[in-house]
Amino acid sequence: MDRPATLEIKDVTVQLNGQTILHDFSLGLEAGQKALLTGPSGCGKSTVLRCLLGFVVPRAGSVHIAGQALTAESVWTLRRRIAYVGQEPDLGAGIVRDILERPFHYRANTALRGNLARVPALFDAFGLARSLLDKEAGDLSGGEKQRVALVSALLLDRDIFLLDEVTSALDPASKRKVIEHFRSRTEATMLFVAHDAESFPFADRVIEMPGGAA
Amino acid sequence: MNQVVEIGAGHLAAAYLLLAFPLAIMLWYRIPMIGETVVSVVRMTLQLIFVGLYLQVVFRLNNLWLTAAWLLVMVTVADVSIVRSCSLKLSRIALPLFGALLAGTAVPLLLFVGLILRRDNLLDAQYAIPIGGMILGNCLRADIVGVRTFYESIRTGEKTFLQSLAQGALLHEAMRPYAQKACRAALAPTVASMTTIGLVSLPGMMTGVILGGASPAIAIKYQIAIMISIFSGTAITLAMGLWLTSKTSFTPHGPIDRSIFRAS
Repeated sequence: MDRPATLEIKDVTVQLNGQTILHDFSLGLEAGQKALLTGPSGCGKSTVLRCLLGFVVPRAGSVHIAGQALTAESVWTLRRRIAYVGQEPDLGAGIVRDILERPFHYRANTALRGNLARVPALFDAFGLARSLLDKEAGDLSGGEKQRVALVSALLLDRDIFLLDEVTSALDPASKRKVIEHFRSRTEATMLFVAHDAESFPFADRVIEMPGGAA
Repeated sequence: MNQVVEIGAGHLAAAYLLLAFPLAIMLWYRIPMIGETVVSVVRMTLQLIFVGLYLQVVFRLNNLWLTAAWLLVMVTVADVSIVRSCSLKLSRIALPLFGALLAGTAVPLLLFVGLILRRDNLLDAQYAIPIGGMILGNCLRADIVGVRTFYESIRTGEKTFLQSLAQGALLHEAMRPYAQKACRAALAPTVASMTTIGLVSLPGMMTGVILGGASPAIAIKYQIAIMISIFSGTAITLAMGLWLTSKTSFTPHGPIDRSIFRAS
């Protein structure tokens, strides 16, 4: 059985293009905990998520996921525990149905292919018309893209969710539906990046990041 | 068949008169390319004079090592040219791409000379240099299009690429759609030229063999063999080029290493 999905960032310093984005930053989440990461623009909130995914390698400090250090070797298996939806998700080219199927061509997800049967229910839960499945991703609105990206993330059955401003383009009704859905996932560990606490009202913790480059 | 007609220096000079047409068009439309054109014509002339003299010596000696060295020089020049054209850093890409170009040229060349022409000496200068040059020239064109398309589309579509990694893709799985796009872009011209060859234009090798005094029946056999060799060489060099350069172009965690791009 997998170890509990804890997240730990310890004394991490990140520099990009000569600028310090994070300095001695630490954060720890217990398994199943939900945290809201907030703070002004440019304070490094998205960088924290990118560190957890191994997209940014810290200059100093360490990152642990489920008790395992994130390294160039372990990152490939640890990513299989994470569902990530970025700001303004770029779904790529093609129709929505193909985009939802794409991750199941990866070796890590082939066994989960049956989860595609959940697409209609998830579309209903998020207020997405099923006719969107045959629409070009490029023709979707910002809010529709965000919800399709969330559906895609949920289909992968991960136990850690890293969600970056995922309700920013949603109308209040759609936002409520998304929030209610994630509230019901009590077992999952979630780190939610947003400017305001309203976007993630069921957070166990609110982590305020200092303004500007830390 | 007739032997090849000798072109005297005076007669060759007449060929330069044809330059009056493009230069006049540039003047008429005020296209600022006259200086560039003159420099490239002078360069072409000097390079071909040098190569002509050098190849006479290489052909006369027909030494295996000398031919191999000349082919390596050709591959090196092509390698540098591709990396520069793709706005990538020489220090990061040149070595893996050199391996890909060498394989893409050597495999079809050796099969052509050994299997099709049945020469005992696989590096017989008279065959290895012109045939190797034709294959390499096409590998160069394919790599410029393919390698550039591959890295540029990952750079511009980085969000989608990273999303694939976040969804659990291994590096080769995340690279696949970009490699497909690059291969399509690079191989399409060769596929298109095979479709229309002989109908739209008489290809270079066939023309050369005919001008050399052989019959069109022999010329088409050479042409078919070279077209297939070129296609196979471009596919090998492209596939190997993307694979080998990816070893030095991505961070160990998966994202593209932006330091491979040359500042524009």
